[in-house]
Amino acid sequence: MAKYIAQRLIVMFFILLGVLTITFVLSRALPGSPVEMMLGNHPTAEQIAVEREKLGLDKPLPIQYFNYIGDLLQGDFGNSLRTGRPVMEEVVRRVGATFELTLLAMFWVVVLGVPIGVISAARQNSVVDNVARAGSIAGTAFPVFILAMGLQLLFYGKLNWLPLQGRIDASILLDSPFERVTGFYLIDTLLAGNFVALWSAIKHLTLPVLTLVIVTLATVTRITRNMMVEVLSEEYIRTAISYGVPKWRIHYAYALKATMIPLLTVVGLTFGYLLGGAVVVEFVFDWPGLGGFVVFSIAQNDFPAVMGATLVLATTYLSINLIVDLLYHLVDPRLRVQ
Amino acid sequence: MNFKRTLMAGLMALSITAPLTSGLVCAATNTLVVADRASFKDWDPASAFSEEVRVLGNIYETLLVYNAPGSAEEFSPGLATSWESSDSGKTWTFKLRHGVKFHDGSAFDAAAVKKSIDYVKALKQGAAYVWKALDSVEVVADDTVVLKFQNPTPANLIAAGQYAAYIIAPAAVDKGHDWMMAPNAIGTGPYKLGQVEQGQQVVLERFDGYWGGWKEGQFDRVIVKVVSEASTRTQMIKNGEAGVAWDIPLDQLKVLGENPAIKVSTAPSWKNFQFLINTQKYPTDNVAFRQALQYLWDYEGVTDDILHGYGSVPKGPLPSSIWGHASVPMASYDLEKARQLLEASGVPKQDWKVSMQYISGVYANAAELFQATASQVGVEVELRPGEWGVIWDKAKKLDTAPNLQSMAWWPTYPTPSDWLFSEFHTEKPTLFNLSHYSNPGFDQLIEEAVALEGSDRAQSTKKYQQAQELLAKDAPAIWYADVQQIRVSRKDIKGMEKSLNPAYEAILYYNLNR
Repeated sequence: MAKYIAQRLIVMFFILLGVLTITFVLSRALPGSPVEMMLGNHPTAEQIAVEREKLGLDKPLPIQYFNYIGDLLQGDFGNSLRTGRPVMEEVVRRVGATFELTLLAMFWVVVLGVPIGVISAARQNSVVDNVARAGSIAGTAFPVFILAMGLQLLFYGKLNWLPLQGRIDASILLDSPFERVTGFYLIDTLLAGNFVALWSAIKHLTLPVLTLVIVTLATVTRITRNMMVEVLSEEYIRTAISYGVPKWRIHYAYALKATMIPLLTVVGLTFGYLLGGAVVVEFVFDWPGLGGFVVFSIAQNDFPAVMGATLVLATTYLSINLIVDLLYHLVDPRLRVQ
Repeated sequence: MNFKRTLMAGLMALSITAPLTSGLVCAATNTLVVADRASFKDWDPASAFSEEVRVLGNIYETLLVYNAPGSAEEFSPGLATSWESSDSGKTWTFKLRHGVKFHDGSAFDAAAVKKSIDYVKALKQGAAYVWKALDSVEVVADDTVVLKFQNPTPANLIAAGQYAAYIIAPAAVDKGHDWMMAPNAIGTGPYKLGQVEQGQQVVLERFDGYWGGWKEGQFDRVIVKVVSEASTRTQMIKNGEAGVAWDIPLDQLKVLGENPAIKVSTAPSWKNFQFLINTQKYPTDNVAFRQALQYLWDYEGVTDDILHGYGSVPKGPLPSSIWGHASVPMASYDLEKARQLLEASGVPKQDWKVSMQYISGVYANAAELFQATASQVGVEVELRPGEWGVIWDKAKKLDTAPNLQSMAWWPTYPTPSDWLFSEFHTEKPTLFNLSHYSNPGFDQLIEEAVALEGSDRAQSTKKYQQAQELLAKDAPAIWYADVQQIRVSRKDIKGMEKSLNPAYEAILYYNLNR
């Protein structure tokens, strides 16, 4: 197992290098220089020249590339051209916000999606199945930003139950601040015993998480349902039924286990999708995560920021893939032998 | 089970107490919440050259204040109470206000002014070039400072600008650029920089020692929330969550204005929209052809339907409300006149093709309308939308430049030269003269006008006006709209009219009260 993990980590390193190289070349190949954009309204030619030299953008592309990789290996991701602050600092500050959002959405997608899929498969063409299928299709078909704005209009505009944007009430950060230890506000507020802040964090998380859950729930539900339908028609299930094994046991202990491999794959892919989908959700809800940061950085040719964020997102995605692969071995003993 | 019960009880207590707690917080201080699109990055007033002035303008102050057009006086005293020039505008003496303190408690005096201006000039960032002719800043007395310039310079206009003119405390200058960028700030303004959550919110706290004093109803605290999405800002002002909202889309302003709880205040700004016409690229290197394009523009259509009435048809190359503006004969929407000019230009009909570069929003809608009107006389318009960084880069080089390039302009400090010099003076290599316009007669007029700004305003104005007449004839641009300055606030907030001043982007929250 250790050898397998080591091999995968080496492959991961080369994939990341590839991702970095492609991002580097693409960002530089696009027309437009970031320097003019970062110097304010009407910069002078001299200011532009000085800044280009300072950032090494006057050097040939291969030299810029090797300088960048060299700095990266020393842990220096450079400074964001847009905010002027170290990229790592910017990314670390936002990573907690994005992960809190996506992990929570992922949690609800699995907790709701799998049972709905199982029930739909067990009671095919029943009311539950039809509603679940129609709901899935509607959820997938809805553009994320329209859904997000619709939820804002309903829960903030009409009902005034939930906050419109942001991660926490402005007054809490000022009057009852809490220490940011993990970057996950739910955990940090609990650690600080600050329940007012915790409540505010829960309220602010609700709409963005709900949006993400609605748009991704369908995938998990439908895969679970389809796999379950297939497994439930297997002979060993029929045998179990004839032996009088309780239905819930057949569904959740026998049949669901057989769907675990494709389900894990889908959950892994869904997490990747959530990371991507969070970009739009973060923008609409002013969620101070990586998504919004990437969007603004791309728009202003902020090379170092785009590279840094890409590296973090790609590493996350590859790590999730690795974890999913390792879980295969746990779920299916045959893979361990191979 | 015990744990479950405790958790339930805790959550219930929380849901009951949370609204009470936040209510108490609001009642304790008079807080203004502002919904702003901009995410502020540059916290050093010496280098800040963009939307940061919306916040910095409340923390720092300038020596002089430029009054809104139509005021009895051009300037009001700021940190300086009187000022005079001598030596044909090469020497400027400023008498400073007594009893002013910086936020750290240190005294504001001539030494502080010298240190601040010297720092801005030496840093060479942002709009520091406005001080390029400055020779020395001399401290004559604690309350008197003398600025000496190499050439006649309008130091009064520069000292009233919103970029590179804020006076920074000596302690902040000593700590340097990186310290201010952290962010930190020490100014003399009515608000101190409070908590900053990058990308989320900026808090301004009332400075008790402000020389202007405080009255009941003014805001103790201003929370500027960064809200990227326009519809979210609109909802926040509608629901009363925000007292002031920035950058509301023009098409939503009319509807908002009809809401009895919301006030939309407007005044002419010093920002104008143009499409610069490339004077060196075929077929727009032909003056009659360029003039024809001006007649193909549906000016009223753009101001009425695209700007929704929040703009007016220009009367000259400069916005009407800035000094030095000349009302010169401008083209109107006239297809017949355009057709005549096209035929008179000598450009063969098969070459009546132009390319047009622009960014999204109003510019894009205007470009599409132009494409439709131009097609009526047989002019083919190729649309090339793009990000500003990309299209600017292309427009600078003649081989990749389009025939028409979108542009919006507003001045760094109150001077016509900002448009006329930056956009139309001969320039090599090209930076902002994206018409690639070059006319030695025009260049000379502008250079003379600039030199006279500080010493003989009347003569300077005359030369600027002659230059604009020349420019209008040469047609290096379609000047299609002078846009409005717009402020959106809740009706119970008073004093917004004092922040309708085209010289400043910032809303001075000190002037507001509830």
